[in-house]
Amino acid sequence: MDAFAASLWLLRFLFLGLLYLFLFAVVRVLVRDLRAAAREPGTELGRLHVLASPAGEPPAGAVFGLDAVTTIGRDVNNAIVVEDQFASAEHAVLTFRGRTWYVEDLASTNGTYVNGSRIDGLAPIGFGDEIQIGQVRVRLERVRR
Amino acid sequence: MTATPARPEVQLPAILAGIRPHARWRELVLLGIATLTLTVGSVSLGATLRARDPRTGGGIPDAAFAPYGAALLAIYLAALLLAHVVLVLSGRRSDQVLLPSVGLLGGISLLLMERLPQDLAGQFGGLAQTQLVWLILAMGVLTIVAVVVRSDAWLRLYKYTWAAAGIALLLLTFVFGRDVGGARLTLDLGPISGQPSELLKVILVVFLAGYLSENRPLLVEQSTALGPIRLPPLPYLAPMAAMWAIALGIVVVQRDLGAALLFFAVFLLLLYITTARWSFVALGVVLFVLGSALMYRLFAHVQQRVDIWIDPFKDASGAGYQVVQALYAFARGGILGTGLGNGLPTVSGRLPIPEIHTDFPLAALGEELGLIGILAILGLYLVVIVRGLRIAASAADDFRALLAAGLSLVVGVQAFIIAAGNLKLIPLTGITLPFISYGGSSLLANALVVGLLLALSDRGVEPPPRPSRAGRLRALLDRGAA
Repeated sequence: MDAFAASLWLLRFLFLGLLYLFLFAVVRVLVRDLRAAAREPGTELGRLHVLASPAGEPPAGAVFGLDAVTTIGRDVNNAIVVEDQFASAEHAVLTFRGRTWYVEDLASTNGTYVNGSRIDGLAPIGFGDEIQIGQVRVRLERVRR
Repeated sequence: MTATPARPEVQLPAILAGIRPHARWRELVLLGIATLTLTVGSVSLGATLRARDPRTGGGIPDAAFAPYGAALLAIYLAALLLAHVVLVLSGRRSDQVLLPSVGLLGGISLLLMERLPQDLAGQFGGLAQTQLVWLILAMGVLTIVAVVVRSDAWLRLYKYTWAAAGIALLLLTFVFGRDVGGARLTLDLGPISGQPSELLKVILVVFLAGYLSENRPLLVEQSTALGPIRLPPLPYLAPMAAMWAIALGIVVVQRDLGAALLFFAVFLLLLYITTARWSFVALGVVLFVLGSALMYRLFAHVQQRVDIWIDPFKDASGAGYQVVQALYAFARGGILGTGLGNGLPTVSGRLPIPEIHTDFPLAALGEELGLIGILAILGLYLVVIVRGLRIAASAADDFRALLAAGLSLVVGVQAFIIAAGNLKLIPLTGITLPFISYGGSSLLANALVVGLLLALSDRGVEPPPRPSRAGRLRALLDRGAA
């Protein structure tokens, strides 16, 4: 009976130990995953994904990393140069203030559209929103970490 | 769309063409550990139960160390492995931690149900067999959702439809519901009966994620000043008021305190995740306290729950019986527990804790596995939350981020509410412990949640295009003009 009782004890603690072994293995995966994410450069605040661009500059499918202030327009001095006949030289500027992204129309001739409606000056935008400048459509996306 | 590169065409039969397996070694290793754990658990349970069996006369029984209920466990483990294989074949690069964690919780549930008296409940044979059927169906739902759901547009675009469906479900339960244990939770539709509030929580998270992600810029930037306090813009307070009213409605109509608490807590958490503003949460808590005080004044069933919570020993053999017995069970378990199969002596022929298989599984586990075992189980729920928040952090847009965070929190908060209720930290509410409590609605709804989380965690999927209808029209016009 003693050997039997001892093996019962052993089984009980083996079960508890295995539960913690499982947790340990999971936590190892989680930590490794977080470390890998931390190694990626993390200065980007957001990304612009070009959805459609009839003139080909910027090419459709291109992805731009965004700084806190990103200017968009036809002029070559803009951070993102848009080669489009309906875009102004200094068309719009994307800014990150506090917790939110804003798009500001810089009094462009043909206007800036957010999700299909024309904005008046400054407008807050969220990730997943679509911006249209001339015929170029871009989407604001979160940086995946 | 021009942005997405076309997939290379492969000349294969239609069925094989879609299969591009992607190995999931981490998941396989974790499943291996879970399998080993559950097997040891069932051997330990079997040996204890056989030694306690009066027919062996206290001697060492034959085949003492054979696993208990081996067939049921083997079927369950095979189902887990099948789910893994299907996920591998689907080739999606989704999360590899959730399936083993949830699988281990389900396995612990199966061990517990095998160990409880089999005549407690069950549509398909005994308690354990019925739970096994539901567990396998749940794993099926989880796998199918994880493999099939590739776009979230159907959730994102029809959020008000979902909300309407949820409210309809609530009303349906009110009108046609059946009272069980003082709460109107169960809806019978022909042969199928279920608890709509389990499905309702998923619908709620989908709606909230849609609403909050759409209005996030406004919620974050605008505010109404009320003296020194900055409140959210008043028009956007309406949903908070509506949520509050719905939560109170659930308490009044369904007499379901747990679901009301769960819904309101998840709403506040999501509001905080969206805006990162404490003032909103503070306002919500004030509303919650006001509502609770009101409910306590007005309704006897709320009063009773709170009174039991304050002093269960006042009526230890009557109203407080369940809670008192659960406390005794935790005390018997201590730190290391009595061992699987050693707890639960029946008191004069009846179970010590009524409704142990649905409302108090944590008390049963606390008795047999002790504090150590319970901490490990709570750790598994923590893993689900952490993983969900991680998926949220790496989501491509706000809707997905809020959806992932909300889905994982709804499981975590539910586990916390019922665990705290079992431990007399908060008044007891009759919601289920996800993946462990007996019952089909709970298992299927939680499997749906985890399946959606798995689908959302796949990084290879493009977020769907989201121009509004006006935008699409304008784009067409522009193209015509150019």
